[in-house]
Amino acid sequence: MTLLSRLFLISCCVLLAACAGVPQTRSTPAPVIYPDGMPRDDRGVETYPGGAGGGVETFPGAETYPGVPADRGSVTAPAPAGSPAVIALLDRADQQYQAHDLDAAAASLERALRIEPRNPRLWYQLAAIRLEQGQYGQAIQMAGKSNSLAAGDTRLQVRNWRLIAAARRAQGDAAGARAAEERASRLE
Amino acid sequence: MAVRRRSSRKRRSSRHASRRRFPWLRLLIVLFVILAGYIVYLDIIVRDQFEGKRWALPARVYARPLELYAGRPLTPDQLTGELERLGYHTVREPTRSGEYSRNRETFHLQTRGFTFWDGPESSQRLRVEFAGGQIGRLIDRAQNRELDLARLDPLQIASIYPAHKEDRQLVQLAQVPPLLIQTLLTVEDRQFYAHHGISPRSVLRAMFANLRAGSVVQGGSTLTQQLVKNFFLSNERTLTRKVNEAFMSLLLEAHYAKDEILEAYLNEVYLGQDGPRAVHGVGLASHFYFERPLEDLAPDQIALLVGMIKGPSYYDPRRHPQQALERRNLVLDLLVEQQALSAAEGARAKARPLGVLKRRPLAANAYPHFLELVRRQLYRDYREEDLTSEGLRIFTTLDPQAQTAAEAAVTNRLTQLERSRGLPENSLQSAVIVTAADSAEVLAVVGDRNPRAAGFNRALDAARPIGSLVKPAVYLAALGAPDRYTLATWVDDTPLTVPTRVGEPWEPKNYDKQYRGRVLLFDALTHSYNIPTVRIGLDISVDKVVATLRRLGVQGELHPYPSLLLGTVDLSLLDVTRMYQTLAADGFRSPLRAIRAVVAADGTPLQRYPLEVERVANAEQVFLLDSALQAVATEGTAAALGARFGRDAGIAGKTGTTDELRDSWFAGFTGNQLAVVWIGRDDNQPMGLTGSSGAVPVWGDYMAGVGVQPLVLSPPERVELVWIDRATGLRADAGCEDRVQLPFLNGSAPQANAPCSRGELPRPIDWLRGIFR
Repeated sequence: MTLLSRLFLISCCVLLAACAGVPQTRSTPAPVIYPDGMPRDDRGVETYPGGAGGGVETFPGAETYPGVPADRGSVTAPAPAGSPAVIALLDRADQQYQAHDLDAAAASLERALRIEPRNPRLWYQLAAIRLEQGQYGQAIQMAGKSNSLAAGDTRLQVRNWRLIAAARRAQGDAAGARAAEERASRLE
Repeated sequence: MAVRRRSSRKRRSSRHASRRRFPWLRLLIVLFVILAGYIVYLDIIVRDQFEGKRWALPARVYARPLELYAGRPLTPDQLTGELERLGYHTVREPTRSGEYSRNRETFHLQTRGFTFWDGPESSQRLRVEFAGGQIGRLIDRAQNRELDLARLDPLQIASIYPAHKEDRQLVQLAQVPPLLIQTLLTVEDRQFYAHHGISPRSVLRAMFANLRAGSVVQGGSTLTQQLVKNFFLSNERTLTRKVNEAFMSLLLEAHYAKDEILEAYLNEVYLGQDGPRAVHGVGLASHFYFERPLEDLAPDQIALLVGMIKGPSYYDPRRHPQQALERRNLVLDLLVEQQALSAAEGARAKARPLGVLKRRPLAANAYPHFLELVRRQLYRDYREEDLTSEGLRIFTTLDPQAQTAAEAAVTNRLTQLERSRGLPENSLQSAVIVTAADSAEVLAVVGDRNPRAAGFNRALDAARPIGSLVKPAVYLAALGAPDRYTLATWVDDTPLTVPTRVGEPWEPKNYDKQYRGRVLLFDALTHSYNIPTVRIGLDISVDKVVATLRRLGVQGELHPYPSLLLGTVDLSLLDVTRMYQTLAADGFRSPLRAIRAVVAADGTPLQRYPLEVERVANAEQVFLLDSALQAVATEGTAAALGARFGRDAGIAGKTGTTDELRDSWFAGFTGNQLAVVWIGRDDNQPMGLTGSSGAVPVWGDYMAGVGVQPLVLSPPERVELVWIDRATGLRADAGCEDRVQLPFLNGSAPQANAPCSRGELPRPIDWLRGIFR
C-alpha cells in the first residue's frame, strides 16, 4: 500500500467518523432552513418558491383555509413521488376504494400518512374518501391541509379546490362552493 | 320437557296401583323422581353454561406495530430492541415465526402473523438490510424479492381483566394443529371419540391403580370429565362431585358433538399462572410460553404444552425446566410409539431445547402512565363489563421506542442534574408527552421519574404554571395584525408598570433584570424577553391572547389577567401538548389520540379513532411564528439544541421557567415529533433550574435516543424572506454585519434600506462568480 492510498483511506475514515457523529441520519435531503440561503428572485428579494410572483391576493387574517397561490400559469413542481411503501399503500387504498370499503381505504391512507405525514397527495386522497363518506367538514379541512403542503403543485391545488367546492355544495353552501370553483379555475 | 312430564305422569299412575303390595317400591319411586329431577337440574346447568357465553375475555391492549420499509429511519440496535421487547428468539438461522438472526447490519427474521384492525398480516421470512441509519432494503426471502412494506406483530402492553383474573385467547378447532389434538388424545384420553363421556375401562384401570397404591394416584377421567370438572365443579375430590361429574359428562356428550367438546376443552384447560393471572387454553399458553401463534407450534412445543396439562405448576418450564423437559420427552416417546411422529422426527424434537420464552410477556402494567390516558378514553366510550369480558382488542398509538427513550432521558438526566447541582437525591420530578407532529397520535407518556410507578400521573393530572410557554400565543395573536406587527417590528423594552384593579401595580421584569431600550419582536420571542411580550399582549389585548390559546387547543382554566401574558396560568402537560401540537402541524388542530381502533373478539372493527384536522390558525402567521421558534433553538434560549443537533435539524421550540425557578419547561418539535418536557418538585419548591438548564437537556436526550428528523417548514405562497439589519430593523445586504433573514407576509416587510446596506442587493450568481474568480 502506498503512502498516498493509505492517506486516502485514513481521510475517508475520518470523514466517515465525522458523518457518524451527526446525531441522526436524515432520510430527506438537507432541509431548507431559515435563515440560510433561499432562492432569490430578480429583485434580490429572497422568496420561498411560489411566493411573491405577482397576482398575489390577500385574504382576511382569520381565513380558515389557505389563500390562493400566485398564478404561475402552469404546473411547476409535482408533489413528492412518495416512497415505494407509500405507493403500495396508495394502491391498496385504491383497491379498497374500488371495493367500496371506504373505512379500510381510509385506514390504509392513514397508515401511509404515518410514513409520510407531509405528503399532500395522501391528504387529498383522504379528503376524497371523507367526501364520499359524507363527512364534508373533514373533507374540506383535509383538502385545506393538502393545499398547505402543496406549494408549487398547481394541479393538486386545483383538485383540492374542486373537492372543497363539491363538499361545500353538499353542505348547502352554494356561495362558498362557487368561490372555491373560482379559485380552481384561476389556477388552471 | 313435554316428554318428561308425560313420563312422570305415567309413573304416578303405576305408583297408585302398586302401593299396597310393594311398600318399598314407593321409596324407590320417590328416589327415582328425585334423581330424575336432579338430572334435569344438572341438564339445565350444563346446557345453560355451555350454550351461553362460556368465558369472560379480558380486553387486550396493544402498542403500535413497527412498520418496516426501505427508507425508514431506524438503526439496527433499535430493531434489536423492538424484537427483544416482542420476545423474538435469536437463532443462527430463523426457521420458525418469532425467531431472528443478526449479522451486524443485516437481519433475518421470521415474523409472527397477526390480525390487525385493517386486516391480517401473515408470517413472513424477511431480510432487513440497514444502510446509513435507515432500512436500506427489505426482502421477502420466500419469494426472493423486494418488499414494499411489512408490519411486525404489536407488543401487547396490557389486559383489562375481570375480577377473577382468568385469561385466555380463544381458538377454534380448525386453528389447532392436528398434531396437537393427536397428542392430547394420546396422552389424556385415547378413547375420546369412542366413549360416551365416561370410560369404564379407564375408570377400572385407575381404580385398580389407586387400590394398589392405597391412595388416589391416577385419574381415569376422560377429556369430557376433565372439562366438566373445570367448567362446572369445584376442585374437591368427593364422591358427590365424582357422581355429578359422571352425570354431567354423559349429559354433555348427549347434547353436543365430540368436536364441540374438544374445542371447549382446548380453551378451558388450565396451563399455568402469571402472578394473579391464570393462563387458560392452548391459545394463550402458546403465547405465554413460546410467544407464537398456536398454528406455528413445532412438535416439541406441542409435546411440552400437552405434557403440562397433568400438572402446570409441577411441569412449569420456567421454574422446573428439568421436570418439564423429561415430561416433554416422555410425551414425544409416546407419539413415536403411536406413530404420530417418525422415529427421526421424535429424535430431532427431543434434541431441541425447551424453547420457552425466558422473560414472561410484559407485566400487566408496564406503561402505567400511557395506559391511564388510554383507559380514560376507553371508559368514556365503553362499559367496564364490556372491557373486561368481551375480548376486545385495543390498538393504541404507543411507540415503545419513543416511550423507552423518554423514560431513559428522564431517569438519567434527573439523576445527573441532581448530582451536578448538588440537589437532594430524588427531589426532582418530571413528566413528558411525545406525539406525532402531524397526526397528533400520542407516542409516549412519562408521568413520573420512575416510569413503573403507577401513582400520581404528572403528565395528565398535574397543573403547573407554564411560564414563557404561553408566549407563542401572544406573538401569534400579534402577527395576526400584519399592519402593526411583523418579526421586524421594534418593541419597547423599558421599565413597565401595569395598573391592577386591586393592590399594587404589576411591574414585570426581564429574566436578566436588564432593559434593552428596544428590541426586534423576533429577538423578544427567541430570547424570551418579558417586558416586550407584556407590551405586545396588552396592545393586542389579553382577551385576544386567551382566544388564541383556546383556538390552539388549550382546555384548562384561563383568566384574562395581564399576568397571563407571562404564563401565570396553571395548565397540565397534556394541555400544553395540545397547544404546541397545533403549532407543529402548521396551524391545524387535531385531538390528541391514544387509540387507533377497537376490534371485537371476532375481528370485526367496532370503532376507529380517525385522524381529524381543523385549521384554527392562519398558515402564514403560523409559519412566521414557527420560523422564530426555530431560531429559539439556534440562537435563543434553547441554542444548546442547535449546537447539539446542528442547524439543519430545524428544531423549533420554546423554553419556560417560572417564579424562583419552580418549573422548568421545554416544548419543541422536529420534522415528525413533538415532545413537551416538564421538570419541577412535587412540593412546588424552587429547584434552581430554568427551562434551558433542565427541560432542554432532557428533551435533547430523548431526541438523541430516537433520532431527529429535520423540520422543514412548508412555506405558504404569500411569504417572502428578507434580510434585516439588526441595528435598525431595516432591509440589509452584504454590507451589514449583524443581519438576519426573516420571513414576512408579502408586502409587510420594511421598505427602506438600512444605512449599512450598499444599496445594491447581491444576486446569488454574482456571489458564486466571486468565489470562482
